[in-house]
Amino acid sequence: MTREGMDETRIGELAAAYGGDVRRWPESERDAAGAWIETHPLEAGRALFDARQTDAALFASPNPAVSMDLRDRVLASAVAANLKARAAWPSLRKLLWIGGASWAAAACAGVVFGANLGGHLAAQSQADAVLDQAMLSFDETEVLG
Amino acid sequence: MGTVALPWPSRPFARLYSRPERDRLASVADPDEDLVRRVGQGDPAAIQAMVARKLPRMLALAQRMLGDPAEAEDVAQEALLRAWKQAPRWTPGKAKFDTWLHRVALNLCYDRLRRRREVPTEISPDRPDEGPAPDRGIMTAQLGAQVDRALAALPQRQREAIVLCHYQELTNIEAAGLMSVSIEALESLLSRGRRTLRQTLAHLAPGAEPAVEGVRR
Repeated sequence: MTREGMDETRIGELAAAYGGDVRRWPESERDAAGAWIETHPLEAGRALFDARQTDAALFASPNPAVSMDLRDRVLASAVAANLKARAAWPSLRKLLWIGGASWAAAACAGVVFGANLGGHLAAQSQADAVLDQAMLSFDETEVLG
Repeated sequence: MGTVALPWPSRPFARLYSRPERDRLASVADPDEDLVRRVGQGDPAAIQAMVARKLPRMLALAQRMLGDPAEAEDVAQEALLRAWKQAPRWTPGKAKFDTWLHRVALNLCYDRLRRRREVPTEISPDRPDEGPAPDRGIMTAQLGAQVDRALAALPQRQREAIVLCHYQELTNIEAAGLMSVSIEALESLLSRGRRTLRQTLAHLAPGAEPAVEGVRR
């Protein structure tokens, strides 16, 4: 509800549901309600009176105290649950990811190495061909004079 | 105890809220996130902190839902045990840990309330006599006991709404999500519950005649 949409009816509904403390009201309506209450103190007082009395009664109910025995049992259950750091052993998903990435890196390295080796071999064979041709030319010159 | 059908789980979260509301809920920072991560790693200090932070909340929730201290302790202990199991695989950002823990504890309460209905009994469990309470004072203790009785007498869904919103201090969106109802339905449950409480406890209001001997305001 927008600030413009706030009125005594909605203030009454909010107080009836959430009590007389605006800080406990829905966040989306808190500012608009607070502004309306500031500008309409009499109407707001009427709407909030009953809600604040109910709040006071509800707060009279004490929270149960946690016994040492219960606390110890709960702590013991944490020990029994055997909680451990997981950093030393990566999860299966992480292992699969690492394995896949390793395979991909190896494949890339193989391609690069193969390309380099191929180029090297081609250059080598070219050099051999030139040498052969040179030797052949030499032989022919020597033989034929 | 009433015979209201247990609501959980009945409606998926996605149908309760619009997309913007769900996005806003998902983006809410979880104050327990770091603690849960450390608990999942077995950090003893974090486990102690988690017990200090959550055990009283779960015990209070179960106590007010069930009205029986022994059962409430069992529920609180079981809820924390499930937290230990969940912590190592907790995924931050999907939900707030506190809301998840409330859901676990509420489901445990529902199970016990369901079993009670299957074995009908005339006598609902009352809070045990805690004896003299010198710190709080006898009158305050009696007043608290009256409020607890009035709360326990409410229909289950109204009591649940008040417990989640007033005592557990969950937001209306969190409480409505846990109860699988709309915000409007939650407000209706809260209003009816609080109205009944006000009528039941009217004799405690200033100027009213005390209905129970020894209780005066």
